[in-house]
Amino acid sequence: MEDTFGDDDFFSDGDGEPITAQKVLQTLEEAWLNEKFCPDLLPSQADYVECMMEQIQQMEENVNKLKKNDFRVEVHHMELARIRYTITSYLRSRLEKIEKNTAYILEQEALRGPENSYLSEGELIFARDFLALQENHCKQLVLQHVPPPFQDFMPTQQSLVPNLRSHVFLRAKKDVDGVVIEGDRDSRDEEVDLEENSQHIMQYKPIANFVKDGTIQLI
Amino acid sequence: MDPSEVEFIAEKERVSIVPNFNNATVHLISGDVGPFRAGLPVNVPVWMALNLRQRQKCRILAPDWLDVDKLEALKEEEKASKYFTKMPSEHYMVVAQLILSAVEDDIPRIEEIRMAVKNLWDVRISKLRSSVDTFIKSGGSHARLDYLTTMEINSVRPLLPHALDFIDRLNKASEGAPRRDLSQD
Amino acid sequence: MFCEKSLKLIKELDRSQEAMPPFDDDGVRQVFEEMRGLYDQNVAAANDTTADPDGTAISGIAIRHAALERNKRCLLAYAYNRILRVRNMRWQFGPILPHDIKANFNEPEVQWFNNYNICVARYFKSIGAHGLDLTADVKPPKSLYVEVRSLTDYGKLELDNGEVVLLKKHSTHLMSRAQCEPLITQGVLEQISN
Repeated sequence: MEDTFGDDDFFSDGDGEPITAQKVLQTLEEAWLNEKFCPDLLPSQADYVECMMEQIQQMEENVNKLKKNDFRVEVHHMELARIRYTITSYLRSRLEKIEKNTAYILEQEALRGPENSYLSEGELIFARDFLALQENHCKQLVLQHVPPPFQDFMPTQQSLVPNLRSHVFLRAKKDVDGVVIEGDRDSRDEEVDLEENSQHIMQYKPIANFVKDGTIQLI
Repeated sequence: MDPSEVEFIAEKERVSIVPNFNNATVHLISGDVGPFRAGLPVNVPVWMALNLRQRQKCRILAPDWLDVDKLEALKEEEKASKYFTKMPSEHYMVVAQLILSAVEDDIPRIEEIRMAVKNLWDVRISKLRSSVDTFIKSGGSHARLDYLTTMEINSVRPLLPHALDFIDRLNKASEGAPRRDLSQD
Repeated sequence: MFCEKSLKLIKELDRSQEAMPPFDDDGVRQVFEEMRGLYDQNVAAANDTTADPDGTAISGIAIRHAALERNKRCLLAYAYNRILRVRNMRWQFGPILPHDIKANFNEPEVQWFNNYNICVARYFKSIGAHGLDLTADVKPPKSLYVEVRSLTDYGKLELDNGEVVLLKKHSTHLMSRAQCEPLITQGVLEQISN
């Protein structure tokens, strides 16, 4: 019996290059782990999420056409459950950071400008709503009851800022030369080369851009 | 990371099974699997192997490294080497646990294999502990960790990165403070 | 000592074993009162035109000001940490909370919960073409099958794959998780292993 669906579903990325559903999934799996281990919010992969959700829906429709006792039904269902977990866990990690560092994230987002946004449209709306919610709550419960000079809501002072000097585990997907690790007063700056496939523990800050461009994977 | 997540990632690894049914290639989103020919080995992801085995549709073939002698040899090599050695699977511990619990009846000397996996793990983990100790005492902020597997990395998380973050905070905080020479106190 | 009451608020919330202890209206009001007292003293000191040759008055103002800031910070921390609990309950229980859980929310917290529900629902709806509920699929999926034992003579049951099995007391079966879960809840089946 030939299985006639699922193999040639293509999706086009920004450059018009077609990529397979398999590649989209792999990108999301990597984004999931990066987001999980990264102290800061990374650029959104909302396009890939959307594409994969379409794949899931299409696959579900196809699987429903199979006979109940076809051995493939369960195999497909299991795979879909795995993909759904990856996507929801990825988006939950992002939302947790947005809730924790709301003011900081909105501030950074404003500095980057709309062409370089890291938040999806939905996340941006959520972040703004959430900040307004916090402000309203602080005012009602605390600020309106304290002496006037102390009534200001100062979002950036009141929300947490991620520690970009946090240590992370990583694997270099390609050679990365000249990563500068900032020293402290007892040690000078140190420059290290990360060989392809080597694994390291180090501060996030010096490698942040390599995580964003995909040369380094957090593990 | 929760251990169930490490397991989730490890379940993507492929293992060999011998199916007892025939079917053409199955096109999963994560890639093609099959074709399935009764009696002929085929590579499938671990999660699929476990499912088919539960439904009595296949026999799982243990990977060739899941063998007492091979594991013993790996352990000796690990002991002799200053650095971590490369494991035959990025998820040897999880794959071994999952497969061994699913194939009780198919593999002889299963208890010995379990023991050998645990011994290998113990040697590596004690090496990891002493390296972490040396690393922290050296005051370093960067270390190379080649060939450590996901579950091993997870065993020092969050403690190791947190300890380093904390040391970094103390260093930063003391940068502003005047240096005091203790010998003159 | 200044700020003892506000610190106590946070410590007690932190220590509390309850999912949500009652809002400490009295404790919070006492901090407001302390702040008002400190502020009035500072206004009076600032308006005092007598000379302050050794800087006693200005130091007093600085200390009281720091105490005011600290009290404000503690109150906000108290409010914020309670909200964190409210937030986690949304993720744990969904948009409708059990009564006993909600009993210890105060009015602004109930409002916060309702508004948070709206924000979250709007965000979930925005994901993909048809929306996605992020409170589902919280754990990595495990095998769809579990081994179960029948606790009663239930009779015939058609499985998802079309096969029909007879559930007799003590009989064991391999069944999909989705299908056996309601039966486990009803006490018809018990799970033996994974």
